[in-house]
Amino acid sequence: MQTTLRRRFKSEPFVFHSFNYLFMLFVAVVTLYPFLNTLAVSFNAGLDTTRGGIYVWPREWTFKNYDAVFQDGRVFHAFWVSVARTVVGTVFGVFLTAMLAYTISRREFMYRKFVTVIFVLTMYFSAGLIPSYFLIKDLHLLNTFLVYILFPGAGAGLISAFNMLVVRTYIHTLPESLVESAKIDGGSDFRVFVSVILPLCAPVLATIALFTAVGQWNTWFDTFIFASSRENLSTLQYELIRLLSSTVNSNANPNISSTAAKDTATMITPLSIRAAITMVASVPILLVYPFLQRHFVAGLQLGSVKE
Amino acid sequence: MPQQVVHKAEPSSQPARRTEPYWRKMFRQRQLILMSLPMVIYVVIFAYGPIWGWMMAFQQYKPGFSIFDQKWVGFDQFRFLLMDEGFTRVLRNTIAMSVISLVLGFVTAIGLALLLNEIKKTGIKRIIQTISYLPHFLSWIIVTGLVSMSLSTEGGIVNIVLVKLHLIDEPIVWLSEGKYFWGIVGATNVWKEVGWNTIIYLAAIASVDPSLYEAAEMDGAGRYRKIWNVTLPGIRPVIVILLILNIGWILNGGGFEIQYFLGNGQVLDYSETIDIFVLKYGLRIGNYSLGVAAGIFKTVVSIILLYCANLIAKRLGEERLV
Amino acid sequence: MGVRPKKAALGLLTLMLVSSIVAAGCSSNNNNGNSSPSSSSPDSQSPGDSSTASSSTETKVEPFTISLFTAATGPIPTDDNLIYQEIKEQLGVTLKEEYLVGDIEQKLGVMIAGGDYPDLITANTKLTGAKAVIPLEDLIEQHAPNIKKHFEKVWNQLKDPEDGHIYWMPNYGVYQGEFMSTDYYGPAFYIQKAVLKEFGYPKFKTLDEYFKLIEDYAAKYPEIDGQKTIGFTALAFDWRDWGLRNPPQHLAGHPNDGGVLVDPATNVATLYSANDVSKPYYKKLNEVNAKGLLDKEAFAQNYDQFLAKISSGRVLGMFDQRWNFGQGHDSLVSQGKFDRTYVGFPLVYDTNVTDYYLDRPPINLGNGFGITVNAKDPVKIIKFIDTLLSEKWQKRMNWGQEGIDYLVGDDGLFYRTPEMRKQQEDVTWKQKHRAESLWGYMPKLEGRYPDGNAEGAGNQPEEFFANLKDIDKEVLTAYGHKVWTEFFTSPPENRVSYPAWNIDLIEGSAAKVANQKMKDLDFKYLPKAILSKPENFDSVWDDYAKEMGKVDTQAYLDRVNDQLKWRVDNWTSK
Repeated sequence: MQTTLRRRFKSEPFVFHSFNYLFMLFVAVVTLYPFLNTLAVSFNAGLDTTRGGIYVWPREWTFKNYDAVFQDGRVFHAFWVSVARTVVGTVFGVFLTAMLAYTISRREFMYRKFVTVIFVLTMYFSAGLIPSYFLIKDLHLLNTFLVYILFPGAGAGLISAFNMLVVRTYIHTLPESLVESAKIDGGSDFRVFVSVILPLCAPVLATIALFTAVGQWNTWFDTFIFASSRENLSTLQYELIRLLSSTVNSNANPNISSTAAKDTATMITPLSIRAAITMVASVPILLVYPFLQRHFVAGLQLGSVKE
Repeated sequence: MPQQVVHKAEPSSQPARRTEPYWRKMFRQRQLILMSLPMVIYVVIFAYGPIWGWMMAFQQYKPGFSIFDQKWVGFDQFRFLLMDEGFTRVLRNTIAMSVISLVLGFVTAIGLALLLNEIKKTGIKRIIQTISYLPHFLSWIIVTGLVSMSLSTEGGIVNIVLVKLHLIDEPIVWLSEGKYFWGIVGATNVWKEVGWNTIIYLAAIASVDPSLYEAAEMDGAGRYRKIWNVTLPGIRPVIVILLILNIGWILNGGGFEIQYFLGNGQVLDYSETIDIFVLKYGLRIGNYSLGVAAGIFKTVVSIILLYCANLIAKRLGEERLV
Repeated sequence: MGVRPKKAALGLLTLMLVSSIVAAGCSSNNNNGNSSPSSSSPDSQSPGDSSTASSSTETKVEPFTISLFTAATGPIPTDDNLIYQEIKEQLGVTLKEEYLVGDIEQKLGVMIAGGDYPDLITANTKLTGAKAVIPLEDLIEQHAPNIKKHFEKVWNQLKDPEDGHIYWMPNYGVYQGEFMSTDYYGPAFYIQKAVLKEFGYPKFKTLDEYFKLIEDYAAKYPEIDGQKTIGFTALAFDWRDWGLRNPPQHLAGHPNDGGVLVDPATNVATLYSANDVSKPYYKKLNEVNAKGLLDKEAFAQNYDQFLAKISSGRVLGMFDQRWNFGQGHDSLVSQGKFDRTYVGFPLVYDTNVTDYYLDRPPINLGNGFGITVNAKDPVKIIKFIDTLLSEKWQKRMNWGQEGIDYLVGDDGLFYRTPEMRKQQEDVTWKQKHRAESLWGYMPKLEGRYPDGNAEGAGNQPEEFFANLKDIDKEVLTAYGHKVWTEFFTSPPENRVSYPAWNIDLIEGSAAKVANQKMKDLDFKYLPKAILSKPENFDSVWDDYAKEMGKVDTQAYLDRVNDQLKWRVDNWTSK
């Protein structure tokens, strides 16, 4: 295979590659810009940012925006809660989603349609907030860590129907013979799933792990509705959103802002605090992807398994 | 060269199973049932359990009273939503922005994935990939803020470039003209999500059997042939499934915050979607029931669309939902 | 595509909450706090502070906890916040606070549904509707002399229009003696000081004169600091809609009543939108636009872009409320562009009309805290609030700590050193030393304390004068004024039914629907009319009026008039 690759590379038309690289450069610049801009704003003095004209480099350096974020010790505790929910939620979510995907990938499974439909529909309706609140309350899940893992709204939840379908579709592209032969060897469905399907699904599991982790990490809504009265369950996103709304509100309330203006100039603006918050919130989760990326090439080995 | 064997064949022992008694079949498949049952129970409780809340759509819901002590209004909420003289416009905007975002989203994400796949230097490929999905992590308010800034007549980059290139004579106030709005929404969606949406296709591409490329090469296929004959068929099931799923979301209007932050009075005729309408005339004025009614309407439409899309996929022999 | 399921609809953000405080009036206020006892003395027998009636709560400290929910309005205090510590040590009260972070409608919705209320809760009509809060009048009468005294004058106004009980203790708008104000934070036609200076500080009252100044200045200086001069702009973004919608009522000589004009004699409201009251203004803007003086993207810009323009110093004038562009003002000051800051003028259609921009701050109804049905010991809670309303605690919360936040001059007046002012700018400092979020919602003393000090640093005249820049002094002298509010006619006593903008239109009612439709039409047609070619103005306006005719504006007016009448009948007893 090495030789084929090399041979192929040599014969590549130079023009295609040049254009491709140029295009990628364009994509990189265009998509990097908003992030860099936010980074620059986060390090720029709030009042100065109001003037506009900050692009990729701060004009008036400051750490004040980050000071405001980290001033409160709760942010650190909340960070670990977020990590915990992300790890637990992702591990369980990925495993269970994959297992479910395996069952509905089996054409002979008698409840295949039923299970598929019942999950697919969840993507298209929402029962509303108030009934959900009653449910969580009745199950005594209010203000518990478990609600983060179990509540199926706002990007979290144990099973994502979307991810389930992605995995199922992937399993469909695997040769059926693999499962058949494993079964002939006396493997039960669960064994086949664990020892044959799971390893082969590495790339797609990495994908849904990323989706799940990002969903878990970014959610603040469940904290807001279901766990806001227990401080030690507060998540990073929730703390940050809280900080943001306090800044936005104090700038938007006529009473407060006229006071503030009289009294002092507001140095921390919603714009700058939002930028700092975005950085604090997203950098940890961004690190997950490069880590998972290597699994995306795992499919290359698939060829050797086949047959 | 045919694509991979896509398990169309049912297990050979099928005829025998047809006649098998129900309970025996259940027993034989007990493992599959056990593997899915807990999750089914979970989803029934957590997702379907609260569905009684849909009763609110037929009431004038007032918080603080039990759902059974509410005033019943029959289909009034639906009537308010669907009979509003602006509703056809709102529906048109919703669908238009969905379709534009959907088509652009698919084409760009698949295109980018294919091009990324052509980059053989793993390091560069990964870097580009990582960079391209960064905007996904920015909130809509930040992204739309940058969009407004770029489109501004006061030093916005878009106007500057277009004027320099003599494509336009003088700066255009992009966000004040309805005719540009849908395009802006589509482009913004692409900007923010293209990299993120690429991930799933890259994972799918990674699973394409390399021997297929080698075989294609031996048949003398060039780069484009290989993309067309090997890569695309290889990821086709994923594309089809995502397409079907997205068709079900067509009443979401390609986002909510995007219209909320970019829209303004001058483009109202093009920017108002169902969700925005419900926000203004439901949530914001204290009418919870309207939102529920709109949700039911959207669900019904979604299910019909899903059913049709699934049927079409079935007819065409493609991967499908069920 | 497709990687984000239905979560989008959930992320409504806090913006909507903000719309509930739909700014209109700007009751001015203060913040700091002050008190003498050092926080190191855990025992609280510090009756050293006289002045307050309610020493009973302070003598014995039985620790108890009050939970409260607020829509936060300031830096969130840290765990070791000094004021909270003092409250705990001296009053025995531990405050367990929850701040709103998302959409208030959703949060209250589930709170009400589940009946899970804290002890104290932020005011909201939904809560009264759901019977979530208890009547306060007896509690106040019996246990809270400070509160009673504080609200005495406005007692009837506090009563709920539906059942006559008092549920909320408003946080702003009750003044000790004559209200005094130095700075102006309300609506006006603002104009750059540089423009005034250029033309020798002319006096003017009308739109024509105002726009003439702008036109002449723009002709003379087509660029400011290298960028194109913008004659006039106005913001119409999201809930910040007054820049577009409110000018006509002021031009017609009415105070800020929201969407209606109220006849002060009869207390009957009429609309001004899409009729002859508002037409001349928009017609004028249309002319201004034709001359190229209007910001082309005024009605497509967002709030940040608006602020950026103001901060650049090249916008000559706009209609706005001063607090709304506070950041822009601060930015100009920090850049040293003092002559690019603004003065507000109360323009009127006709010089015969008396301007009524500056109003007497009305009581901030429907705001502040109420006690919920879940509170175990409402008496303790009301006593706690009563204690905080004492002069000692008011100074502690509003001014701060003597020696740290302010000094006392020989004349007994408080003042701040420049370093002290500077430190008030620091959010992290505030998180530890101040309690703005709590303060923002508690009833408070405004005006002057008996010792002559203003409620807080912001309104201390000496502080005001110490902060004036040279150009400010020049402008004030040229017009023969001492303070900015003198640019406006001193307002008469408030009409008993004032202001109409805080009338509760009732959730989900036809009046609310009509109100929203009117807003939509204004947002859609006004910019269109203004930006159209002058010869098309009338036809666009006719379309607008026609569309407005289809809206059930009567439902809206009926509700407003009904409430105005109720106020006249019930509030006049004062």
